[in-house]
Amino acid sequence: MPSPIAAALFAFLALAPLAAQTPLRVAAAADLEPVLPPILVQFEKNTGIHAEATYQSSATLTTQIENGAPFDVFLSADLGFPKRLIDAGLADAAGSADSTTPITYARGTLVLWARKDSHLPSLSLDLLRSPALKRLAIANPDRAPYGRAAVATLQKLKLYDALQPRLVTAENIAQAAQFADSANADAGLISLTSALTPQLSVDGSYFVIPRDLYPPIEQGAVIVSSTGQRAAVHKLLDFLLSPAVQAEFASSGLTPVK
Amino acid sequence: MDWQAFALSLRLAAVTTAILLAIAVPLAALIVLGRGRWLAAVEALATLPMVLPPTVLGFFLLVLLGPRTAFGRGIVALLGHPLAFSFDGLVVGSVIYSLPFAVQPLVAGFASVDTALVDAARLLGAGPVRLVSTILIPLARRSLLAAVVMSFLHTIGEFGVVLMLGGDIPGATRTLSIVLYDQVEGFNYAAAGHTALLLLGLSIFALALIYSRTRSHGVAPRDA
Repeated sequence: MPSPIAAALFAFLALAPLAAQTPLRVAAAADLEPVLPPILVQFEKNTGIHAEATYQSSATLTTQIENGAPFDVFLSADLGFPKRLIDAGLADAAGSADSTTPITYARGTLVLWARKDSHLPSLSLDLLRSPALKRLAIANPDRAPYGRAAVATLQKLKLYDALQPRLVTAENIAQAAQFADSANADAGLISLTSALTPQLSVDGSYFVIPRDLYPPIEQGAVIVSSTGQRAAVHKLLDFLLSPAVQAEFASSGLTPVK
Repeated sequence: MDWQAFALSLRLAAVTTAILLAIAVPLAALIVLGRGRWLAAVEALATLPMVLPPTVLGFFLLVLLGPRTAFGRGIVALLGHPLAFSFDGLVVGSVIYSLPFAVQPLVAGFASVDTALVDAARLLGAGPVRLVSTILIPLARRSLLAAVVMSFLHTIGEFGVVLMLGGDIPGATRTLSIVLYDQVEGFNYAAAGHTALLLLGLSIFALALIYSRTRSHGVAPRDA
């Protein structure tokens, strides 16, 4: 005879998932980690739709979606990874002008960041030529669009070969920022979104890498085609492109597209 | 196949196993032969890394032993670089991470040696070093083999600590398990399959080796 407590617990565990509405699952590039949480809170206030985000490198999220991860929408840090999912028939941009092109929702900015107590010469492109720079953190260029931009910058400056032995590669752009903030790396080529977080603003300072040194970091969104919540996804995409959120992007280190 | 990473993984596992043997044999002997309640704390501490998430270890090594702490600055003065992003750092992480896999089989092996033999040797005046080298190790040599193989394999299979601490540097911190992760993330499933097969084969081979050696019942012959 099972005890009433056990029976109640069983009923709770069995029925709890039915009671709560399924949240909107957002696969978000790691540079959005400092930006997105308050926006999703505002989105829930406006629409009543609860959205939960998972932050990883764009390639990691792409692999997960390719293998059936239950995401509804993918906010990449580039256009290539979401395009890859569209070409594989796993995602789409239905409802926008061209359903086979990811929806650009923001542009990213690459910065050179170092701790204020790092004893490095002042932050500028010259720092990249300084022998005092022993370890420079970048994101993995094969899977993180900011890492690709970092490598493009170093190649354009003809510094890549010289600096390569001193590069430490992080799994995603948030980890690159962590390597530099924990002082394990002397400096990092990281996202402006990370550099503007309260923690990193206090600990260090940054230098904006001139835009002509790397191809634009166009950040694209796609709808995961297997989603059962297409209407909610469209509401979120519209919200991201709304003037209020675009203005919030601008103050948190992304360049608005509208 | 990334042979450089394969060689690095083997080198990391070999160095780690050698250091672990030097630590684990005296530690296991102390736990088995010693008296006192504090030994329970020692044994618990030696088992801790087995249940600790690798991320805890990665965090401690990266931040608490990083250049922002006095201890971390001492390491920088000593090595000339921080523990993170270096082979030395991975060795330190691996030794802690695999410690229980060396200590546990040795404690079990030493404890199963007939106490009458240990007491007799003590009465005849054998000190702890002689006791360990002439009684415990020869009688528990299967456990010693198990400790070596388990430490080695556990280090080869290490992933979380390396991902947090390594910085993915070819020849220094890019181990085979990181290469496999890179290949999966790079959509290179064919290469990932080869790397995964190599890791699987290596593990099966080594485990088959210890179980064929340590089986003391059934059809497998006892070693003489």
